[in-house]
Amino acid sequence: MATEVLWWIFAAAIVVASAGVVFSRSVIHSAIFLIMSLAGVGAMYVFLTVEFLALVQFLIYGGAVTVLILLALMLTRTSVTGLPDKVNGAQAPFAAVVALGLMAILIGVAVGTDWPGNVSDTPANIPIEQISEKLFIDFGPPFMIASVLLLVALVGAIILARQEEGE
Amino acid sequence: MVPLENYLALSAILFSLGVYGVLARRNAVLILMSVELMLNAVSINFVAFAVYLDPGKITGAIFAVFVITVAAAEVGLALAIVIRLFRNRATSNVDEAAIMKW
Repeated sequence: MATEVLWWIFAAAIVVASAGVVFSRSVIHSAIFLIMSLAGVGAMYVFLTVEFLALVQFLIYGGAVTVLILLALMLTRTSVTGLPDKVNGAQAPFAAVVALGLMAILIGVAVGTDWPGNVSDTPANIPIEQISEKLFIDFGPPFMIASVLLLVALVGAIILARQEEGE
Repeated sequence: MVPLENYLALSAILFSLGVYGVLARRNAVLILMSVELMLNAVSINFVAFAVYLDPGKITGAIFAVFVITVAAAEVGLALAIVIRLFRNRATSNVDEAAIMKW
């Protein structure tokens, strides 16, 4: 029962932080809220007993991605006057309608469907050895393709962001 | 044990917030952050379905690892593009960079 109370606290924190990301007036506040939201998702992985993913989430999202985003925000500051720029476009009301409709449909389907095997047994903890065996044996080729993808993205990002001569 | 529907509803809320952010925001970095929210919602869905419905309980975690990998690559490339855009146009608002819009 204590787990469920904690789950609801973390779920509320994730929703509040994500709303902060998309509704905040300042881009820096959005980035801080994003860190909170990503950490909350990592906690969700702990609730789902996949601790390996929680570690990966904290390391990659909480560490690398948010630092990248904060650095990009720092490099692309436009408002020298300190006044907040207009953050939303004129299409924001339509975007709200689309998002609310999508949310209603998704929640309706998720709650209305009778999922098979949805019993209240506690899921067993998944050992990291099993995950690594699955990742390196059954999903070996996709793993190698993913590493090539990361290499290509690395080289591409360097080429794109490089200061060329005469610029 | 929290029922599966709770995870699905949480991920639906997260995904919808991300959709709103992608559609409504003007700053390219903020749009990217909203995309991250959507990717996280998808990862929660993968892992929740695998843990509750898959007897092996692992495949969803593997897919979440791949989602995180692709998201990291995407963030690196997209932020490089944003910085290049800012250097050329002195803006990071997507509606001021509409030269390719027909």
